[in-house]
Amino acid sequence: MKSPRTVAIAGLAAVAMVGALAACTAGGGDDSGKTELRVATFPPGADEAAYTAFAEQEKQFEKENPDIDIIGVEYEWEGPTFAVQLAGGSLPDVFTVPFTDSKTLLENGQLMDVTDEIDELGYTDSFNPILLEEVTDSEGRMFGFPRQAYAMGLHYNRTLFEEAGLDPDNPPTTWDEIREAAKTISEKTGKAGFMEMTQNNTGGWQLAAATVARGGSIQEDNGDGTYTSTIANDGTKAALEFLQALRWEDDSLGSNMLLDWGTINQEFAAGNIGMYSSGSDVYTALVRDFSLNPDDYGLTVVPVEDGGGTLGGGDIAVVSPTVDEETKAAAVTWIDWYYMQKLLDEDAAVLDAKTLAESDQAVGTPVLPVLDRETYEESLTWIEPYINVPRDQMTPFIEGVWDQTPMGEPKGKTQEIYALLDTVVQAVLTDRNADIDALLEKADVDAQALLDQ
Amino acid sequence: MTMTRASDAAAEPAATAAPPPDSPPSPMVRTRTRTRSPRTWVRGGGLSTLVFLAPMLFVFGFFSWSPIVQSVIMSLQKTNLLDAPTWVGLDNFANVLADPLLGTAVLNTLYFAALALVFGFPLPIIMAVLMSEVRRGKGFYSALAYLPVVVPPVVAVLLWKVFFDASPTGLFNTILGWVGIPAQPWLQSPATAMPSLVLEATWAAAGGSIIIYLAALLSVPPELYDAAEVDGASIWRKIWHVTLPQLRGILFIMLILQVIGTAQVFLEPFLFTSGGPNNATVTILLLIYRKAFQNSLGGDYGEATALSVMLAIVLALLSWLYFKLTERWSTS
Amino acid sequence: MTTTPPPVFEGVDAPHAAEGIRGVIGRRRADRRTDAQGDRGIVSGHDRKKRGVRAGLGGVHGVLFVGLVVAGLGPLLWLAKSAVTPTQDTLRQPLALWPNGIDWANLPQAWNDVHIDQFFWNTIVIAAGSWAFQLVVATTAGYALSVLRPRYAPILNGAVLATLFIPAVVLLVPLYLTIVNPPLPGDVSLLNNYLAVWLPAAANAFNILLVKRFFDALPREVFEAARTDGAGPFRLFWSIVLPMSKPILGVVSVFAIIAAWKDFLWPMLVLPDPAVQPLSVRLPAVQQSIELDVFLAALAISTLIPVALFLVFQGVFLRSAGLGGAVKG
Repeated sequence: MKSPRTVAIAGLAAVAMVGALAACTAGGGDDSGKTELRVATFPPGADEAAYTAFAEQEKQFEKENPDIDIIGVEYEWEGPTFAVQLAGGSLPDVFTVPFTDSKTLLENGQLMDVTDEIDELGYTDSFNPILLEEVTDSEGRMFGFPRQAYAMGLHYNRTLFEEAGLDPDNPPTTWDEIREAAKTISEKTGKAGFMEMTQNNTGGWQLAAATVARGGSIQEDNGDGTYTSTIANDGTKAALEFLQALRWEDDSLGSNMLLDWGTINQEFAAGNIGMYSSGSDVYTALVRDFSLNPDDYGLTVVPVEDGGGTLGGGDIAVVSPTVDEETKAAAVTWIDWYYMQKLLDEDAAVLDAKTLAESDQAVGTPVLPVLDRETYEESLTWIEPYINVPRDQMTPFIEGVWDQTPMGEPKGKTQEIYALLDTVVQAVLTDRNADIDALLEKADVDAQALLDQ
Repeated sequence: MTMTRASDAAAEPAATAAPPPDSPPSPMVRTRTRTRSPRTWVRGGGLSTLVFLAPMLFVFGFFSWSPIVQSVIMSLQKTNLLDAPTWVGLDNFANVLADPLLGTAVLNTLYFAALALVFGFPLPIIMAVLMSEVRRGKGFYSALAYLPVVVPPVVAVLLWKVFFDASPTGLFNTILGWVGIPAQPWLQSPATAMPSLVLEATWAAAGGSIIIYLAALLSVPPELYDAAEVDGASIWRKIWHVTLPQLRGILFIMLILQVIGTAQVFLEPFLFTSGGPNNATVTILLLIYRKAFQNSLGGDYGEATALSVMLAIVLALLSWLYFKLTERWSTS
Repeated sequence: MTTTPPPVFEGVDAPHAAEGIRGVIGRRRADRRTDAQGDRGIVSGHDRKKRGVRAGLGGVHGVLFVGLVVAGLGPLLWLAKSAVTPTQDTLRQPLALWPNGIDWANLPQAWNDVHIDQFFWNTIVIAAGSWAFQLVVATTAGYALSVLRPRYAPILNGAVLATLFIPAVVLLVPLYLTIVNPPLPGDVSLLNNYLAVWLPAAANAFNILLVKRFFDALPREVFEAARTDGAGPFRLFWSIVLPMSKPILGVVSVFAIIAAWKDFLWPMLVLPDPAVQPLSVRLPAVQQSIELDVFLAALAISTLIPVALFLVFQGVFLRSAGLGGAVKG
């Protein structure tokens, strides 16, 4: 092993391997002189039509930018694979990151600084300041483009509502009414009246949302980079007691307590769930990735009580920190074209909506404005002819959401604390004798320990 | 021609490949090398030997020896892959030991191992003894028993996840309903989740053990049974006093191997429950995985390797014990 | 290496784990089985004449038959049925013998829309590459250590042997980081490259010891004769040693292919790009975006090939499985 010849031979073998690698992996440079840009597209499993629409947009973009070659890469934000891809540098050059992770990422220097580009494009003053805060570090540098935001919504199955004798045009407006409706649905139809996400950090996410809706908060931002855990609060307790009552008194939560964002969507699209809470924009994914029957779909606001608000969220389009200047410029051009222009510019909005609608992709899914409400509502009038989502079935949400205060997600160690809360939600849903106070006390201590690290 | 006969024949090469210990094959090269100038070294075949060793040195160097050393180094460092790693002494170990989940994971892993022993250890022995006594259909039974082993483990887990449907119309609950047992929550309750995982794991692995025991049963010398019969032993006494004692070597080996295997259980808790509900199925390897790869942004590689090193030490001790015991038995 | 630990106590499929150390490097108990002894077992011919024993053996037959058919074949038959059954039937009456409708479209849908065909191909590529690399490393190393025997052979032997005592789990993180950032010039990463699976798989000490031990037992006179005829080390290897070692190469091949087919955690980590992932990694990922009936069809297709291979090459499989015990004992 120590002999220089051994080393030489190992070296030779290594060289041979590099040769093999060069043949296997595509290099960044391209012989045609174009800049190759690898951009995130859809989660795995998206249907062909989504790719048809994307291919069309890719063509349009490349026509306008002949020196950029767009390569679509399947991409989905997901705890485990995201961390692995990020560490391994196998991410696309342009991808999206949820607000929950943007702060940590930019503080770690894992995102590209795009302050100058945002300034140059003139967006600095037009972004919704609450959202812009999510991408800005303590020195005022910006690391991404907020591109999409949502408020928490209550999604319900209109068909199951009718089967259970409920009025699908008058969905529940308080948590008590949700409980009653859930009970009725499960008694009359045998399906789960309500379902709750519990896995892969979504349990914590939903618990945080349910807490906020009841006027509580799971974390306080001390403003100096430190945070105080406030998990043991009345809002969280009420949220868990609500779940406990549905599970053990009413038995209206169905039989599967191990669900995450994807599996709950799947169950809903399959018609097995009366109601569940998730981001207001999930309709797009429900029809694209989970084959939902649009006639079944209904959307209303999550009830807000005791001075609470609706938990908002969303994601930002970011550039990989490892790309060179040329690729970075191309990346910003793409982000501006693909994500931003359709929010601002009538022609771009119409083109985008038309392309999507032609491939049967959802157009007009309710979201929170990334810019301001006026621009958003104006943009909806531009694309009116192409809107193909059943917005009349979403009226309770579309009209009600403006009365609710959007609240941001907790910022300190968000995902870790969500993971911690997953187990609390699971405990309440799977253990008849779960002691909510004790669970919250323990989670609070554990969360504070994480925050103090 | 029975299956076990066939396996008997196949075992021959490896089995007889063992040279008698006191007559090692004569080395071919050594006779030539006394003085070692580079030229005689090359002429003596030193270079070509290295050429033959190169593939091994390369893959072991990069993918086995060096990672082993690195894991010890990394367990003493903090790294985020971006900045240069910093030495942190035993901090990683301290953090791991202070992690409230560690105790849960260790207990869960021991629980899995214990359940796997209770369900999974005797069953293949009993099956093998029964199968060895039937005269016809041995090959058919062996094939049936081995079939679950052929199913890719991921497919098996995903399929059983459907079986474990906790609604009253779930597959297992339907079967329970036939005999009047109420529907069980299976994966949906902290109390039944782990036994459910073990049930699947036992199903998936029992076939392999059955085949191994079947082969081992053939090595029990028939004259021992003859002798026992002369003493008027019943079938049960023969099993208890002849078969099992004769199998004790392989039984102990399989036991240790099972413990080593169960200590590293990952696939089942990862795919069935992600460690839930309420951490009831978080195992040590799942904890390592979470620390390294699921820790939302950038893994805690230091803590993950520290925990790996601790687990590895325990497992290496078990391996060593296994080595020593088998050595003793085989010579006696 | 197989980074995925063996499911429970499955010696055969985890050659890298510590099992088999004894059988390979130590002395083996003499094989006491001989044909002359016939095939008597616990129950003697005399026993078999007793009525109670005969009834008992009949009962054993019954228990074995029902038990093994239900446990071994049952789940697969159910999977086959459900693959062509509409989702709602499977959910409402999972054990109905005849579904209300048969949905043959599930199968082509799984094959084409879920791209099972591509992931199947990836699985084959991964298994084939692992097999080739393992064979090359094991035979060249075994040859060098057993036949050529340099003076430092015992040191290397020890170094290889020592890795048998290190459980795969300890390698997980450092090996992953080696793949992410290999010690090579330039900014290359082995992520999404099949070499990331093939090369670590080739660092398998168990294979080397198995092969070396086999080579040790080959008759030295043949080698000497070949050398006298002027055969160099390469000719000796290619024309004499390899042709004599087909049995052991078969065993190593079976171990290598089975392990590659089953591996999950390691390919999941180093092949994040869905385009290159094998079935084992891909199936859990697509589960949530397709309907249950199509998913079950995908599972059925993924099971079909290994089961078919097993039924065709039953003998080889069961012999290798039994060998796991023979090597251990």
